[in-house]
Amino acid sequence: MSTHYNNPPQSQQQQASQTAGEAAASAVDSTARTVHYKCGDCDMDVPLKRGEPIRCRNCGHRVLYKQRTNR
Amino acid sequence: MAPAASASGQPQWSTKFDTKRRHDLFTSPPKDKTAYPTLAAAVDPHIESFNHILSGQLEHGIKDIGTKIFLDGDPFAAPGAGEKRNRLSLRIQDVFVDKPVLPSSNKVALKNRNIYPSETRERHATYRGKMRARLEWRINNADWQEEVVDLGNIPIMLRSNRCHLAGLSPRDLVQAKEESEELGGYFIVNGIEKIIRMLQVGRRNYPMAIKRGAFTNRGPGYTPFGITIRSMRPDQTSQTNALHYLSDGNVNFRFSWRKAEYLVPVMMVLKALVETNDREIFEGLVGAAGSEGLTEKQFVTDRVELLLRTYKVYGLHSKAKTRAYLGSKFKIVLQLPADATDEEAGTEFLRKIVLPHLGCVAVTPAQDADKFRMLLFCIRKLYALVEGDCAVDNPDILQSHEILLGGQLYGMLLKERLEEWLNSFQLALREWGRKSAFKPFTSQDFQKDWASKILRRTQSNIGQAMEYFLSTGNLVSPTGLDLQQAAGFVVVAEKINFLRFLSHFRMVHRGAFFAELKTTSVRKLLPESWGFMCPVHTPDGSPCGLLNHFAHKCKLATSDLDVSMIPKLVAQLGVSSKSSASLDASVVVQLDGRVLGYCSPKEAKVIADTLRFWKVEGKMNVPLELEIGYVPNSNAGQYPGVYMFSQTSRMYRPVKYLPLDKLDYVGPFEQPYMSIACTDAEIVSGDSTHVEIDPTHILSILANQTPFSDFNQSPRNMYQCQMAKQTMGTPATSLRYRTDNKTYRLQTGQTPVVRAPLHNEYGLDNFPNGMNAVVAVISYTGYDMDDGMIINQSSLQRGFGHGTIYKTKVCDLEEGSRRNRSSKTVTKLFGFAPEGLVKAQSKETLDDDGFPRIGTMLRYGDPLAAWHSVTHDSATGDYINRDAQTQFFKYKEDEVAFVEEVRIIGSEDGTQPCQKLSIKLRVPRTPIIGDKFSSRHGQKGVMSQKWPSRDMPFSESGIQPDVIINPHAFPSRMTIGMFIESLAGKAGALHGIPQDSTPFRFDEQNTAVDYFGHQLMKAGYNYYGNEPMYSGITGQELHADIYIGVVYYQRLRHMVNDKFQVRTTGPINPTTGQPIKGRKKGGGIRVGEMERDALLAHGTAFLLQDRLMNCSDYMRAAICRSCGSFLSTTPIVSEYGRKKDKDLTMRCRRCAKLADGASNKADIWMDAQGTRYSGGEDVAIVAVPGVLKFLDVELASMGVRLKFQVEP
Repeated sequence: MSTHYNNPPQSQQQQASQTAGEAAASAVDSTARTVHYKCGDCDMDVPLKRGEPIRCRNCGHRVLYKQRTNR
Repeated sequence: MAPAASASGQPQWSTKFDTKRRHDLFTSPPKDKTAYPTLAAAVDPHIESFNHILSGQLEHGIKDIGTKIFLDGDPFAAPGAGEKRNRLSLRIQDVFVDKPVLPSSNKVALKNRNIYPSETRERHATYRGKMRARLEWRINNADWQEEVVDLGNIPIMLRSNRCHLAGLSPRDLVQAKEESEELGGYFIVNGIEKIIRMLQVGRRNYPMAIKRGAFTNRGPGYTPFGITIRSMRPDQTSQTNALHYLSDGNVNFRFSWRKAEYLVPVMMVLKALVETNDREIFEGLVGAAGSEGLTEKQFVTDRVELLLRTYKVYGLHSKAKTRAYLGSKFKIVLQLPADATDEEAGTEFLRKIVLPHLGCVAVTPAQDADKFRMLLFCIRKLYALVEGDCAVDNPDILQSHEILLGGQLYGMLLKERLEEWLNSFQLALREWGRKSAFKPFTSQDFQKDWASKILRRTQSNIGQAMEYFLSTGNLVSPTGLDLQQAAGFVVVAEKINFLRFLSHFRMVHRGAFFAELKTTSVRKLLPESWGFMCPVHTPDGSPCGLLNHFAHKCKLATSDLDVSMIPKLVAQLGVSSKSSASLDASVVVQLDGRVLGYCSPKEAKVIADTLRFWKVEGKMNVPLELEIGYVPNSNAGQYPGVYMFSQTSRMYRPVKYLPLDKLDYVGPFEQPYMSIACTDAEIVSGDSTHVEIDPTHILSILANQTPFSDFNQSPRNMYQCQMAKQTMGTPATSLRYRTDNKTYRLQTGQTPVVRAPLHNEYGLDNFPNGMNAVVAVISYTGYDMDDGMIINQSSLQRGFGHGTIYKTKVCDLEEGSRRNRSSKTVTKLFGFAPEGLVKAQSKETLDDDGFPRIGTMLRYGDPLAAWHSVTHDSATGDYINRDAQTQFFKYKEDEVAFVEEVRIIGSEDGTQPCQKLSIKLRVPRTPIIGDKFSSRHGQKGVMSQKWPSRDMPFSESGIQPDVIINPHAFPSRMTIGMFIESLAGKAGALHGIPQDSTPFRFDEQNTAVDYFGHQLMKAGYNYYGNEPMYSGITGQELHADIYIGVVYYQRLRHMVNDKFQVRTTGPINPTTGQPIKGRKKGGGIRVGEMERDALLAHGTAFLLQDRLMNCSDYMRAAICRSCGSFLSTTPIVSEYGRKKDKDLTMRCRRCAKLADGASNKADIWMDAQGTRYSGGEDVAIVAVPGVLKFLDVELASMGVRLKFQVEP
């Protein structure tokens, strides 16, 4: 499906967010930290920040799964 | 044996393993239809009854509700003063129910707006669809105006025609995250699967002769004799009509309307129904003039004469006048509009209340005549009962029962809610009138306010009412729906294992009313239940006999048959409308509670036999499922006649009709008067008309799974049915998408070697429920005493019985608080407070987002999720945390668990931040000592030791048992089936074949032992299943040969880890100081009176003291020796010294004197209030139970003083 298309940018994104997070770790801990979830319907990667509405960006599904690892 | 292909093209299931076929079904579920049609058929009645709501039942209901009329003007104004009042007519024209979709407030989901059941399960939500009604209204005789009104969301039954899963193939079901064999038939309410239980209720449209002592309480003259008929409207709501016999011969008609009872002279009802005269009634009750046996009918003629004479006092002489009289009495009761005439009201009374099964909408004169004839028949039966010509009908037998299906009840409730909604306009209109100075309905203001002020004030949230019903099972109803109970209609469809789940759909309850009954007669297993109710599958204990399960071939009618041709056929066969006086000369022929005519008993038999022949043959359009109950003439037995039933809710079951050698269906009403042979050998020529297709048809699905159950003592089979439902098995294959509160799962399930073909037919291999174990019957170590069992440790290490518990914890931030859902009113958010300190400890289990990491091990008190309070900043749209405090949901169980899944649940409209979290935890449960296991023969046992493999006994071929049980488990329990299973399993395992364990397959000539013994011999084993064995410890041969074989074992869900309860000290009750109750809270087990007696009798006084004092409310209390009081002692408080908790010196305030100058300085002491005393030194410290002091205080408060003598 779309996983092939999505995978490379996703890993980059994650790395970027992690480095950004580490840089600002001392000042603001995790306000802007995005965490990636899996959509319960279409299996897409859903990055969410604190306070954002819960839904899949792709299909609008309302249940997200936490991923086993964030590596 | 080539697999026989069924009509559907699929090969039929046999007892074979069918490994390849099942594997193929697993890897590629069929695209067309299920491979297990029998399984689907077991649930069909639920689904079909729900489907029927919207394809007929509710339509009839709307017609029955009819048009409601409301008048304008001041209801309290002086009558006759104002002008003519305007009429507002309201009627429901149509009701629509949509499939579950997202609400329109959700603007984000574009492609697929359907809500599937799996999503509602995951979100702990309700699977519901929008309900709307087309409401039509007009004022006076203006044109009808229509409006579609939203009535809320009603829960939808899964796989019904309003569910997205309807008609999906197994493959599509898997795509929808369901089981490939998803059954449906239940509802999802708040994420919990609920099922409306089937209920046994009285048979519809059949007049029952009843003798009940309570009838005499209705007033003077009332006798215990009566007739009741549960008259069923086409919308499946019933109205019970009853006739009472009075001691003077009079008959009164009784009915309930909106939970109140009313009595009317039956003559009045008769005369209101049709234009009639006394002679017609007399001949209808006694028999035509000059008919046979009239002279012997002195009893009836006397009474009918009296009936006619006493009615004269009313002086009502025509149909119209009688109706007007009835109408004047019942106009208010029936909530008719104030401007209806009395005669209209009387007609409405007859329509709604009197035998509505013969016509309840737009009643024609012919229907009224039917009602008249039926009522006459009821009175005849009543007189026959009183005279002793017929016996009372037993209301506890299945013959007089039918089944109230879940969908029907749901439909009844919907109808009633709709009617209540229309009734609620009354209040809304009056409110509007009061506020607008009673403007007429014709005014402009009314048009303007109609939608905003009136329609909105009505009770239109039917969805909420239905959801309440399904989540609690409580019936909120102004009419009571003619049912005997108001609660307990809905149960949770527990998925402990598949068999448990399946049983819920075949379960039928007798009614909560009977559960409280002191007598046990309703619980008895009566022969009338044969073939319909399983004699084995009922729980023991309080619901025994009230909670039954259908035999697996018992079907339920969910729609009415087309019987339009029956009256004509019956007329051709010869019935007359007139009856004779004597039952020997003429008996009744009825169809669904409608009198078709009378004929002689001989003709009645011919009619019944001919119709049966036609119905099996399929000729003359007589439907096969028609029930033709021929009750022959007898010596004061059941009232004779031919009673035919064609409507829904009936039970029926397949048997073979011998004259045509074809399938016939029989129902519980006709069965007692039929001759059905159990086996072909039992057919009696000239008597038997039918033969059972298979003797196992009398057993339920579960009871059929017990191997060789005909060899067991019958209570053991009952126990097995219980235990199969408590087994830790495979609840579902879609476990990944389920969020049950608690589920059990057996990791290493196997298919049994010994099983019936039905095992495959019901697809039970998809949900394995146990393991095949090599079982030796020896007394080996002593650890197998008293139903203990020894399990080979190596077997356990290889996975025997390994199980898991999945628990789901829901963390809800807005539990019960916020109802107006908007992202601006969010007050709490998941995650750590942005500015706050985060402890490293909490980060061990939680991720950055405040959710637990998947795979984390949780112990007692570990945080499950973090949250903080926020306020919404509408300027930036952010959520701001001000207190920098992070709070936690904590894991509050003692056992170690692992986080399996974390679901982040969004709202339906997709605009809110996370407010709800669903965390699935996995608790590994490898078998430990104390866990319960059982074979399939009611032989449960507790694992008492894991025995090392090297010390297990072994046979000559080197086989070690997995399980050792004690031989003493057998003699008293007589579970011979288990021995045979052991033999069969052993032979099956040796030859690699599955063994058919269907009961009733062996007999005295062809014994099971011989059959399986020869198989064993062929494999080189002992014919009897015994083998020489060697001690695993010494290596010596055991003196006796050991019975060893393969038995299927189930692991039961009762595990010590959920049960053990120990304490020395712990939490106590603050008032008494005694330990609290309850395992969860760390409380103790009560040492009660009898336990105390036992300890006392054993002379174990110290043990007694330990239990009742030291481990309970042991207390050291100060007591004054001289005055003997606990309450007057007080500690002294030193003026200068430091506070020391220990070594408090106690004094008695009562014995002390207030200190004065004369007292010795050294003797003066001070209490905590600073009062100085001297003396009162004679105080001792004693050990007493804490409650003793409490008792002293309580008594003191009532002015009673306890005085203790303290010695020595």
